[in-house]
Amino acid sequence: MDFQLSDDHRMLQDSLRGILTRHSGDALWPALVEAGVPAALLTEDEGGFDGSGAAIALIFEEMGRAGVALPLTGTMIGAAAMAQAGRPAEDGAIVAFADAEPGTRYDRGVAIRAEGDRLTGRKTMIAGAEDATAIVVTTADALWLVQPGAEGLSMRGYPLIDGQRGADLELDATPALRLGGLADFGVVLSRGVLAHAALALGTITAAVDLTMDYLRTRKQFGQPLMSFQALAHRAADLAVEVEQARSAVVNLAGHLTDDTPLRDRHLQACKVTVGRVARLVAEEAIQLHGGIGMTEEYALAAMVRRLLAADAAMGDADWHLERFALGEPAWA
Amino acid sequence: MDMRFTPDELAFRDKVRAFLQADLDPDLARKVRLHQPLTKAEMEGWHAKLNAQGWLAGNWPTKFGGAGWTAIQRHIFEEESARAHAPRVVPFGIAMLGPVLQKFGSKEQQDHWLPRILNGDDWWCQGYSEPGAGSDLAGLRCRAERQGDHYVVNGQKTWTTLGQHANMIFCLVRTSTEGKKQEGISFLLIDMTTPGVTVRPIILLDGTAEVNEVFFDDVKVPVENLVGEENQGWTYAKYLLTHERTNIAGVGFATAALENLKRVAQAQVHRGRPLAQDPLFAAEIALVEIDLMAMSTTNLRMLSAAAQGQAPGIESSMLKIKGTQIRQRLDALTRRAYGGWAMALPASGNEGEPEEADEVLSATATWLNNRKLSIYGGSNEIQRSIIAGALAKG
Repeated sequence: MDFQLSDDHRMLQDSLRGILTRHSGDALWPALVEAGVPAALLTEDEGGFDGSGAAIALIFEEMGRAGVALPLTGTMIGAAAMAQAGRPAEDGAIVAFADAEPGTRYDRGVAIRAEGDRLTGRKTMIAGAEDATAIVVTTADALWLVQPGAEGLSMRGYPLIDGQRGADLELDATPALRLGGLADFGVVLSRGVLAHAALALGTITAAVDLTMDYLRTRKQFGQPLMSFQALAHRAADLAVEVEQARSAVVNLAGHLTDDTPLRDRHLQACKVTVGRVARLVAEEAIQLHGGIGMTEEYALAAMVRRLLAADAAMGDADWHLERFALGEPAWA
Repeated sequence: MDMRFTPDELAFRDKVRAFLQADLDPDLARKVRLHQPLTKAEMEGWHAKLNAQGWLAGNWPTKFGGAGWTAIQRHIFEEESARAHAPRVVPFGIAMLGPVLQKFGSKEQQDHWLPRILNGDDWWCQGYSEPGAGSDLAGLRCRAERQGDHYVVNGQKTWTTLGQHANMIFCLVRTSTEGKKQEGISFLLIDMTTPGVTVRPIILLDGTAEVNEVFFDDVKVPVENLVGEENQGWTYAKYLLTHERTNIAGVGFATAALENLKRVAQAQVHRGRPLAQDPLFAAEIALVEIDLMAMSTTNLRMLSAAAQGQAPGIESSMLKIKGTQIRQRLDALTRRAYGGWAMALPASGNEGEPEEADEVLSATATWLNNRKLSIYGGSNEIQRSIIAGALAKG
């Protein structure tokens, strides 16, 4: 048993850290593409060079730690699904993954329906939709490919809490290509969940590190906050929970290509664990900071909002908990 | 024992309900319900309506122009107002400064300042916390030096809620560095239009500018603006804190949040039926509701004891902790009820389109903003220390 990164993955991590240090804003995406980061998320069959659970976990954890908000998850899911369906995306494509529907929590196919090869209805909270070169849309039991600018498609953009821009899609008999049944894309979709979980883990780590630094340096009553046992014990509890979250991500990454139901159970357990830790860290990081943790100009604010987003994407802890408890599959 | 309200109290509740029904503008109530920031004019307008009714200062004795309500009446008013989504009475003049002036202020100060609070001539804010003095409030350093018939104030205050609207600030300032740090603090009333006062907004993580930093640079304050005696400010501050806390449990706010959560859970679809029928989620809601039922009675038991003359002690700390925990759990559950829909940024200019998106945005905005509940007014950690300190004495 070996939980260390392989040499290739360590090099990937070093290269990614370098890019995330040197580039930001509009320059970041081209730098990541040039360094092959999106390609590392895809298998050779999909036109990439890795696509393993370990690679996905490390890339998204670094993104989360650096606080980067890019439509990388949607691009990974979309490109992999398109490749699997024999319709590979172009190089440098940005694919948006349209999954959530307004008012339905995580039920699919309630606000949207397919008739023949046309889709009608609504999707919401779609990261990167405005810049996307292709959109992959879920319905109750299938994945569909929709072209931006297709007939009957309208889009309304707004900022998301994780720092990206999102959009609502309105489809009115919009032509779409059926890529396949939802369950056929179990591994692809599970990679998306792993990406969200690893992104959350990176953010969790960054938020906890920031909180520990604050507790060590901020003084009240003439002493560092960390010298107050009530606070120090809560810090210790956070450190324990971070390890739980990390192991949950490792579990999913390691079982990503296993058969169901083993993969599904790890997926659900991962989302439950990481989601609950993310909520705890968001609340505790603010509280342990006090007022400064509520302010926009302090680094924690953006982290907290990303933690809220991380739990909500692709089924939150509540949703996956129920399916785990009832022994239900992740994708059906 | 009789847990029911008396006929008089029930009649009072009906009067409050009738007033709220008749005088609360539905558009204003909607803003309050959606946790959208109110304008100064909206808050002042509500104060004026209450004042016209003689209800603005429920906690003040009638001789100062207050309503002279009992603790139970105040509780009824606060609960009904919260459930109707009325704006809350801005606490700084009414709930905080008023009682201090009534107890420790001079006759001249009472005659001058108290009517101005009721009439809305002055908007007060609170100058307590400093960057280095939060939980350790007595460590404050903002300095006031006596020079003839003035104090000259230098320093900084922070977390000054709604200070952007205020023309007056009551401050704890350091007038002595000798002896215990609590013994060199004075309570000073400062006109914010005086040269040398600067207000800078602090943007919070929900995007609002609710709190401020206030800077004092050689600000001249007439000595008649000292409340009580020099270096006795800590006593007045502690008095203020105990009287700030009649509504500390926030039962009305929690009740309104619970009603909202149930409405949201009824409207959201989960496995093809309302989320409210999902046993797991319904149980989460039930657990908070059960906690609220118990706390609501704890609150009434303590109000009743206070009405019988027992001094409030650690009870208010207990209510602060439990009350804020309940409200924050309700806020978290409301966001969770929306699931993947609750990912848009509040205060983003996205409001109003579509209509229901307002509700989702408000769930996130409320979660973010209400993290303050367990931090301000003495953090929940400070409240636990107060309780533990009392328990240690036995």
